[in-house]
Amino acid sequence: MNDRPILSVTGLSARVADEDPDILKGVNLAIRPGEIHAIMGPNGSGKSTLAKVISGHPGYEATAGAVVYQGEDLLEMEPDERAQAGVFIAFQYPVAIPGVSIANFLRTALQARLEDGEELDLFEFQELLMERMELLQMDPSFVQRSLNDGFSGGEKKRNEILQMAVLNPTLAVMDETDSGLDIDALKVVAHGVNALKAENPAMSVLLITHYQRMLNYITPDVVHVMVKGRIVESGGPEVALGLEEQGYEKYRRAQVA
Amino acid sequence: MAPPRERAARALNRDAVLETGLADPAWLKARREEAWDLYVATPLPSTRSEEWRYTDVGRLLPLDGLEPNLEGAGGAPDGDLVPGVGGPSRGTVPDGLLRTMAHDPASSGRVVDVDGHVVSVELDAALAAQGVVLCSLREAARSGDPVVEELLATRAVPASEGKFPALNAALWTDGVFLRVPKGVRLDEPIRLSRWVSRPGTATFTRILIVAEEFSQVSFVDEITSPDFESTTLANTAVELFSRGGAQVQYVSLQRMGRGGFYLATQRTLAERDSTLDTLNVALGGSVGRVDLNARLLGPGANSDMLGLYFGDEDQHFDFNTSQDHVAPDAHSDLLYKGALDGSARGVFRGIIRVHEGAQRTDAYQTNRNLILSDDAVATSLPNLEIGADDVRCSHGATVGQLDAESLFYLMSRGLDREQAERLVVLGFLGEVLDRLPLGGVTEKVTRAIRAKLRHLHG
Repeated sequence: MNDRPILSVTGLSARVADEDPDILKGVNLAIRPGEIHAIMGPNGSGKSTLAKVISGHPGYEATAGAVVYQGEDLLEMEPDERAQAGVFIAFQYPVAIPGVSIANFLRTALQARLEDGEELDLFEFQELLMERMELLQMDPSFVQRSLNDGFSGGEKKRNEILQMAVLNPTLAVMDETDSGLDIDALKVVAHGVNALKAENPAMSVLLITHYQRMLNYITPDVVHVMVKGRIVESGGPEVALGLEEQGYEKYRRAQVA
Repeated sequence: MAPPRERAARALNRDAVLETGLADPAWLKARREEAWDLYVATPLPSTRSEEWRYTDVGRLLPLDGLEPNLEGAGGAPDGDLVPGVGGPSRGTVPDGLLRTMAHDPASSGRVVDVDGHVVSVELDAALAAQGVVLCSLREAARSGDPVVEELLATRAVPASEGKFPALNAALWTDGVFLRVPKGVRLDEPIRLSRWVSRPGTATFTRILIVAEEFSQVSFVDEITSPDFESTTLANTAVELFSRGGAQVQYVSLQRMGRGGFYLATQRTLAERDSTLDTLNVALGGSVGRVDLNARLLGPGANSDMLGLYFGDEDQHFDFNTSQDHVAPDAHSDLLYKGALDGSARGVFRGIIRVHEGAQRTDAYQTNRNLILSDDAVATSLPNLEIGADDVRCSHGATVGQLDAESLFYLMSRGLDREQAERLVVLGFLGEVLDRLPLGGVTEKVTRAIRAKLRHLHG
């Protein structure tokens, strides 16, 4: 592992496009290759806004600061360019797209990474897909279904992680992937993430979560606490354990003071 | 007085009607002439009439300048064709049509029609032995089959139906007659492959399908052509009869080149406990107008009515549908979906009519449009007319743009905007094809849509 951050966020302020006020108010964060960071915080603290800004969602805009990914200005890149560069966001509320099967979609996504004129080997793709679904304990027929169409909350989350497993990102941002999962599904998802991490130790992960419980299965290197658009504390896994016991109250009071 | 001219270029006139019917039996000659009189007496539909408000046929279709594709014209074959003999071959079938046909999977039978003339008919020998009749409609009419005389342009699409049905009934040159005997079921579709080659002409085709009790058949009617410099008309009358308990599927694939003007009148008559489904796919031509009337004539009758259109540049598609619930306890479900790019225009007008006494009718009607550009326009006019009190009916229409969240989601996985758009459009239209999975149709239509999508916003 080298020490140059793969993602560095400096002084980032951001808001819902054209809507004051800022939700993020000067976020600083540096993730190095192979590190797992967790951002915890109460509802409305801005955690998901950070994920949206990193993804390039057109509904959000940065008003100050910078996001640099692998030495490039991430904010200047289109969402597809970010994905092509290895950024993956597991969304909290992935949208349903009727008529577009998961298999077809993932094939198109992998094909999109190839040079013009190169063709994806469909046999290899099928193998990869089957292997990834096994890893996540998913039924093979799942990928014939339309993307998120009529999926339960848990199916949507698994589908996000399946995509992550197939696309094999350099930086994975998981936005509240644990919410809506029962404990068995959570274990499967966490096991999948750990297995991917074991395959590709250089993969960096940013876990965004409201609860500690995900961190029982995926051990973070760094835990950040975000309150009201700022990171108010950073430390090791013990920070999360402290939150489990005391909640966010002390940070809220600290900010008011 | 002007000197008599040498044989003038043919036009849509009484001479053409007489020439077309030269070898016909007397009943058919009479029917043609009556139809011509009706055609002359019927005014051209104008945009003042509700049903033609959005398609200015007087401006779009230069009827006076069109030359009918009569027998023997333009290299179309003379002479008799024996049903069941002779497959399509290079020489009689244009290369463009052979290429289209090469993508077709297995068929129970196939008919090839070039410029309104049947050039080959093939039918599975085992089916022929079971009494299935598949032949040139012209041959069927001349051979004295009483069913043809009884049903041709009488109960389904008679000349009295309107200006264009009258023109078709007067001038039709050929088409298909298909009769499936009681209880006979066809595993694979019958395919009609039509090709129009001559610019500035008018082709008049009829399809007459009779499925007897408890028989089953599907029929794929595909029309293709090169692009034309001048407006070229393909007028089609489709008459579909499903007797008690029969199952019929009719698919129209309209893939003409630009300059093509496709004008079809389709009527389905579904008797007790029969199923009569239709799928209209409009991808080609410059103008496409389909008038579809489904009549549910017996209890337990069912019609799924599907439509898919994808217009670009200045293509204009107009669908005028009606679901007539004459009998009680019948079911009909219509779903038409269209995507429109460029300055294309899509019009859907549909009505569910529940006749008096048609209790316990189940009838649904949905039209959804996806607008892909600033200049494309979709007009959707669903309607209900209910004459019974115990019914379940619903209708709905939407016109929307590509969903920004969907596009973003796909782009966040590395697809560029156009790839994302293509996928969403394909998924949107694909729902229609999923409802009627029929040998090779889904693949063929999907391929054609993909080809059009490559030029999205182009």
